Amino acid sequence: MVSAILEGLVKALELIASGDPTLVDITLRSLAISGLATILASCWSIPLGVFIGLGKFRGRSLFKGLFNVLLGLPTVTLGLVLYLVFSRSGPLGFLQLLYTPSVIVIGQAILITPVIVSFVANTLEAVDPEIRSLALTLGASEVRASLTVLNESLNGVLLAVTASFNRAIAELGVALMLGGNIRGATRVLTTTIALETNRGQIALGIAMAVVLLSIVGLVNILVSQARRWI
Amino acid sequence: MIELAGVSKIYNGIEALKNINLKVERGEILTILGPNGSGKTTLLKILGALEMPTEGFILSNGVRVDEGNAEETRRTTTLVFQRAVLLRGTVRDNVAYGLRIRNLAGPEIEKRVKAALSLVGLEDLADRPSKGLSGGEQQRCSLARALVLECNLLLLDEPTANLDPESMIIIKQVIKRLSERGVTIVLATHDLKQAQELSERILLLDGGEIVESGRPDDLFLGQSSDMARFTRSENFFSGESRVLEGVARINIGGGVEIHGALSRGGPVNIHVRPEDIIVSNERIVSSARNNLLGSIFRIEDHNSIIRIKVDVGVVFTVQITRRSFEEMGLNVGQEVYLTFKASSVMLL
Amino acid sequence: MRNRNLTIISLATIVIVALGGFYLIQSMGPNEPHNLVVSTTTSLYDTGVLDQIEEAFEAKNQIDLYFISVGTGLAITHAQRGDADMILVHAPSRELAFMEDGYGVNRKIIAFNYFAIVGPGDDPAGIREKSPLEALEILVGKARGGDAIWVSRGDDSGTHTKEKGLWAQAGFEVSALREEDWYREAGSGMGKTLQIAEEYEAYTLTDMGTYLKYSEEGLVTLEVLVGAGEELINIYSAIAVNPDSNPDADFDAAITFIEYLVSDEGQTILREYGVDIYGRSLFNPVVELLKTGSDPTTAEWIEAAGFFDGTECPQEYRKGEYGLYN
Repeated sequence: MVSAILEGLVKALELIASGDPTLVDITLRSLAISGLATILASCWSIPLGVFIGLGKFRGRSLFKGLFNVLLGLPTVTLGLVLYLVFSRSGPLGFLQLLYTPSVIVIGQAILITPVIVSFVANTLEAVDPEIRSLALTLGASEVRASLTVLNESLNGVLLAVTASFNRAIAELGVALMLGGNIRGATRVLTTTIALETNRGQIALGIAMAVVLLSIVGLVNILVSQARRWI
Repeated sequence: MIELAGVSKIYNGIEALKNINLKVERGEILTILGPNGSGKTTLLKILGALEMPTEGFILSNGVRVDEGNAEETRRTTTLVFQRAVLLRGTVRDNVAYGLRIRNLAGPEIEKRVKAALSLVGLEDLADRPSKGLSGGEQQRCSLARALVLECNLLLLDEPTANLDPESMIIIKQVIKRLSERGVTIVLATHDLKQAQELSERILLLDGGEIVESGRPDDLFLGQSSDMARFTRSENFFSGESRVLEGVARINIGGGVEIHGALSRGGPVNIHVRPEDIIVSNERIVSSARNNLLGSIFRIEDHNSIIRIKVDVGVVFTVQITRRSFEEMGLNVGQEVYLTFKASSVMLL
Repeated sequence: MRNRNLTIISLATIVIVALGGFYLIQSMGPNEPHNLVVSTTTSLYDTGVLDQIEEAFEAKNQIDLYFISVGTGLAITHAQRGDADMILVHAPSRELAFMEDGYGVNRKIIAFNYFAIVGPGDDPAGIREKSPLEALEILVGKARGGDAIWVSRGDDSGTHTKEKGLWAQAGFEVSALREEDWYREAGSGMGKTLQIAEEYEAYTLTDMGTYLKYSEEGLVTLEVLVGAGEELINIYSAIAVNPDSNPDADFDAAITFIEYLVSDEGQTILREYGVDIYGRSLFNPVVELLKTGSDPTTAEWIEAAGFFDGTECPQEYRKGEYGLYN
């Protein structure tokens, strides 16, 4: 097994160095799908996290608890549920999105929503509660005051977004169930790893995993640079 | 300019304010005096439209304030919190915050920020990150951030509490100057002397109720039992004064005699400010006429400032900086000397 | 000022990235008019033979093949739910049910090979070269004595279906065997099941394609102990989704692909795939064999295991005139 791992590493370097078109194609698709899912999920999850983190309403802790529970949702389960929704016989089947990259984007966006919501809510709760009052007394509108609190916790928010991207790009269940791992259309890094492993192409599977980890590592380095800059 | 009518405020079942009726006149300095927990901060928050009353209503220039138009009131009123809360970024960013919200032009913002910073003596620190300021600088920064808005009504919550002397002097000067410019100021404090010095009118708040109000001299000179009850908590003493050789010797009970630079004999009410008392481990030989030995029975931590209660027969409250506190290694039960000048004894 | 600029810049970045992302994703997904979604059994897809067929087929047809590689059970579910245009599976009994329920038509057998019973080289149960049913019987005896372990796929796949059928033919109740401690269920794909059997030094039933691949890669050292015999025959069929059950299914494209699979070219690819790597073929073409009667024994086996009422597709499940059954 050790030799298989080494072989995988060598193979990974070979593939990367040679700019293997399939590898490039799959990697770009993974980045595009998961990146887009992260942006999409951020659009609704950050406001929702702000709402939960700063809001004072009945059932807030219940709401927050719900998202914490959803953090543990197995990707395969979510994939299955969404498959049933987007399947031609399902309620959204008429959209004809099953087995397209777009539906993976949607699925991953849903998958990472609890990650962003929980992280953002927690990071906002840690912000000095007076910041909001301060913004208000200095003349800010309610929305502007929330943005100010958000700005105070920008580091935490950035961390939430990064963590969610990592989860999106590293998940398998949704991409497999909704995307179908179709060559040249919905094949991403994780589904390739699963397929190559099933095919007994261990080295290729490990090579893909190395690429995946490199991307995650690179993104994290970039983000930590950005955090210092902010 | 702003008026409270029958205002009550209930937080989690606790009545923080009870039936407050209050009219703040344009251009005045009004002091709300009261012990901790008397509802001062809540009252200021309601005046600043940050909180809505549970009962009663607020009129701002004759218009009733509610959730819907609170933002308008907040645009012309601003509150400086007791504890300085600073935003990320530089001192300049902080002071400019409210102006940016108001969409002022860049050069205008620049001009006003500069003026405000120089007023509070922070012009040299404009580009410092806000989190690196000392306690006093933070408080001055947050004052500058409020006054730069040129609001009609400035609300100050304990603006000089627990501050270094330099910052305290600057802040007092700023308050006076703003008042001269015609800004209406409401400030909350538990510092008698400050109330006396700065304001034209004092409200005494206790347990969420206004128990007394009037001009400072009337309140302090009168035999107000409410005033006495409030002041008992901090270095307020009543006793018999005998004037000998121009110095009043005041027996305040507990076997303690205080020397004061007073000329009145007979029953008096006196006050010594906590920050005017020196604490030492050894007896200090100095020109100060009062030197009392007692033991520490309580230590209160207020970040950069520490308040110590010392029993010398009666209880004195003393305020020192955290630094001195740590250097002296003070502990509960320890014996210390309290030293203060006869001129620090105020007659009320 | 700095703050506002920052906000504008970040908003602009988000918009650009989002637009760019959607463009990128659109450009990555093929946009040809015909996408033929084929739900296929893993044992077929994972060998890689379909990739080769796809290339050859797409070079000649304006049809884009979308293979979804899942177990036979899920492949059939996909088709029933309208998520596939056709299926490639290897479980004749379930195929018949699929057609009887009105979901599938125009079944065509495309290839066959043999399942194999593999096990440790030293063969503690002593089943080498026995007939399949006899081997299973011996194995159970030895296993109950503690000398052998059996690993079942346990995942409702085509291979699992086959395994359950074999136990029944050998006279055992699978539901009873499951209670015995030498009978272990992997609940996994073939590759994983082989690796589990390797760890346990156990016996298992495998399709040849996956086994050869894993053996070649050095991932398993298990040997083929029983590799032929009527009971082990493994028949792959293509079935088009019935347009009556799902009007959106691309029936014409499905038929075009089925026709290709049984054409000389398709059959040749199936026969030759893997020969260069393993020195033997993974799949045997079936069309020629059934037509010419060149190997009557094997033909008989195929008919016994894979025909219904003497035909690969009874009349009532045939649709249209495509010359598939001439």
